[in-house]
Amino acid sequence: MQELIQQVVSGLASGAIFASLALALVLIYNAMGLVNFAQGEMAMFATFIAFTLIIHGLNYWIAFPLTLGIAFVAGVVIERVVIRPVERAPVLTLVIVTLGLATLVNGAAGFLFGYVPRSFPSPFSVQTINILGAFASFQDLSVIAVCGIVLIAIYLLLQRTTIGLTLRAAAHHPEPSRLLGVRVSWMLALGWGLASAVGAVSGIMVAPILLLEPNMMQTIIIYAFAAAVLGGIESPLGAVVGGLIVGLTVNLAGAYVPFVGGDLELAVALAIIVGVLVIKPNGLFGRAAVRNV
Amino acid sequence: MPSALLELENVHCGYGQTSVLHGVTLSVPEGSIVSLLGANGAGKTTTLRAITGGVHWLGDIRFAGRSLRGRHTEDIVGEGIAHVPEGRGILTELTVDENLRLGAHKRKDRDAVRKDYDRVFEYFPVLKERRWLSASTLSGGEQQMLAVARALLMKPRLMLLDEPSLGLAPLVVRSIFEIIRTINQTDHVAVLLVEQNARLALELSTEAYVLEVGRVAVSGKSAELQGQESVRRSYLGY
Amino acid sequence: MYRQVQQRLRSAPPRYWLVLVLVLFFIGLPTVITSFQASEWTLVLIFAIVIMGLNILVGYSGQISLGHGALMALGAYTSAILIHRYQVDYLVTIPIAGLVTGLIGFLLGIPALRLSALYLALATFALAVVTPSLIKRPAGLTGGVQGILISSPDPPQFAKDAFASVTSGPPMSSDQWMYYLSLISALVLFWLAWNLIRRRPGRALRAIRDREVAAASYGINIAGYKTMAFGISAFYAGIGGSLYGLAIGFVSPDTFPLALSFQLLVGTVVGGLASIAGPLIGGVFTFWLPIVSSQFVGSQSWIPAQIASVFQKAGPAVTYGALLIVVMIFAPNGVAGLIRTGYMRLQARLRGAGDRGTGQMPPDPQTV
Repeated sequence: MQELIQQVVSGLASGAIFASLALALVLIYNAMGLVNFAQGEMAMFATFIAFTLIIHGLNYWIAFPLTLGIAFVAGVVIERVVIRPVERAPVLTLVIVTLGLATLVNGAAGFLFGYVPRSFPSPFSVQTINILGAFASFQDLSVIAVCGIVLIAIYLLLQRTTIGLTLRAAAHHPEPSRLLGVRVSWMLALGWGLASAVGAVSGIMVAPILLLEPNMMQTIIIYAFAAAVLGGIESPLGAVVGGLIVGLTVNLAGAYVPFVGGDLELAVALAIIVGVLVIKPNGLFGRAAVRNV
Repeated sequence: MPSALLELENVHCGYGQTSVLHGVTLSVPEGSIVSLLGANGAGKTTTLRAITGGVHWLGDIRFAGRSLRGRHTEDIVGEGIAHVPEGRGILTELTVDENLRLGAHKRKDRDAVRKDYDRVFEYFPVLKERRWLSASTLSGGEQQMLAVARALLMKPRLMLLDEPSLGLAPLVVRSIFEIIRTINQTDHVAVLLVEQNARLALELSTEAYVLEVGRVAVSGKSAELQGQESVRRSYLGY
Repeated sequence: MYRQVQQRLRSAPPRYWLVLVLVLFFIGLPTVITSFQASEWTLVLIFAIVIMGLNILVGYSGQISLGHGALMALGAYTSAILIHRYQVDYLVTIPIAGLVTGLIGFLLGIPALRLSALYLALATFALAVVTPSLIKRPAGLTGGVQGILISSPDPPQFAKDAFASVTSGPPMSSDQWMYYLSLISALVLFWLAWNLIRRRPGRALRAIRDREVAAASYGINIAGYKTMAFGISAFYAGIGGSLYGLAIGFVSPDTFPLALSFQLLVGTVVGGLASIAGPLIGGVFTFWLPIVSSQFVGSQSWIPAQIASVFQKAGPAVTYGALLIVVMIFAPNGVAGLIRTGYMRLQARLRGAGDRGTGQMPPDPQTV
């Protein structure tokens, strides 16, 4: 029982990390109907920036928001420079461009920071604390808390502020929004910036667990895909719920299903992706897709 | 002669290879209601889209004396032109309130916005009832009301209305037209009204232009056009 | 009869001559380069085969696969297991690997029908990432992390003798034999693809790619053609994978990483979508870019060794990524598209006709 609770908590912690990255995917999907294959790599790069800031003596809690700010600006710049020229191109072109971006960012990280895995500092103690008679790691609980705060902040931004309102308007109805004075093109860039920042949270949270190196996010992005697809790809709430479900499922399957063990956890994510796409493509929270003719 | 609020001078435009407007000249005086009539495909909607920068055009379009050449839709709209497009442009993913907030989102005069809200709810009480519901739950007439209300919250000097009567019951159309008249009179908002329903439009407006395949075929005071049997027969179909 | 042939030769468009020259070049190449260099060109040909298959899927049917590395792995392991465990002759295993992979590809194509291009990209991407760990699992069959060693095939006696008499040097080496085996496969598969594309299935696929709903209204069997494209594409990947395993002498999970699937896509796109010449250009590009770029950096003495060694690891990725983006923005039809556009401009110029703007998508892509 105790072990189960521990597994659940650590599953939720992974889930929160997946949820952050999945939310980043959803933000861009909503803005332009595109899955950003470079999201994980962008998060990885941001984590390297945080790492650099911290080893140069900056306090973790200053480096963290600073990195998010840098990631935000980088996201905006990437949209302006790389995505804008192909904004109206077919999906295939867009997908290939984001793949190119992923490769480019991955290579750039390798070039600048090298391929030696580094241990990323964590401000959270590794102690366990006692909740209701079970021990949960403080690290896991903190990850859940930080991701939770970020997700709530994004929710408030989208739902309660004017800028969030214009973001949503531009994403769903670009033409009428333009007539209301919304700068749709800039909203896309803003969406990329936000996504980049939210994704960076997942990178910074996962780095202490995985060790930081350029390919760190390659598996995390698959879990995030699974989470986003499970949640219905266009629903921010769906991404969060999907992330938690994927985190729990993968963790529990890894711990309790002998066949899965440690090395087939990723295959569980693949199974979720394929299963959802084939059986219920709208996911848990997605609306029925309208087929454009 | 005092210069009009909106002036189109020999405007040509089209989509790709096909040209739609072949030299349209018209003007909307400050505080007036002008209707733009004509058959389907005559270029009425395109004229409105040209004004708010939705299509490329040649010639000249001036608003309050300044040319709109080469300006983006977002800026033109900020100058004080509210465009209620074909199909009303309701953002159905959002709530009624969010649609209204978008109308006012660029305004800094918060107190005036609050007053405008009250007035809009006075005009359209149903919007107050439905304020927190998704805009997709509104009926066609209610969506048209929302579109006009949202346009009003932009505090425009000119409203472009594209077929507000389309697909609505006659009674609903009446009440919407009444409110357009009220808005015009109390707020001194000029209106350029595109309509298929020529009879109603001529009743409401002071001046009218009739488009035929991209050109102004007839224009004049609404009352005079109404009186001319031949014009009514050949262009307006009633 | 002779007359007819003469007639046809005279009326053949220049591109046929170009193909002939190209084929002769590839046949003669190993006689002037070393055995090791031949083994490098073998990989170029293999990449070209797989990219041809991927091009049928992406360029002609408008679907996408980021998982062709996984399909190559399937082909390679099929051959390796048949050779290693069941002592099947390696020549026999090549078509078997193609057919097995093609069948699996066809089956994958069925759920793929329900997915939009975006979801398909996502699912195949996940497949590519998961493949290495899936391969490791049945360790008894696949050799786990170690993989399987394949002894390099010995060329048949007639080939050895023929090669020795042509070059008046040593008999044909195993590497050179693999080269010719790949060349023959590539020729056959390119010829098949060319026939497929210019006939009914090709037209149907392009119709589906460009206007699916309209195509359906003409009575084109959309589901059938799309799954067929997947199957054929996988068949090419299977053959390519099988040859790849034979050429490099072993297969292991790390032989088929995500990066391989990427490289294949880059090759497809840079070479040119919906083009027959594209895959060849793509194959050359995919294979030589990392080698040439790291050799270049390595040879530059002014670059500190430390940076050079990092670049040799990261450089290809940076170059690939940047090129992919630049190509998609500025030349969405790839190198083959650029050549085609340039050729058409030149022709128009020569005819003295006005230089008409050429469209983005080639209307009816053919050879070269």
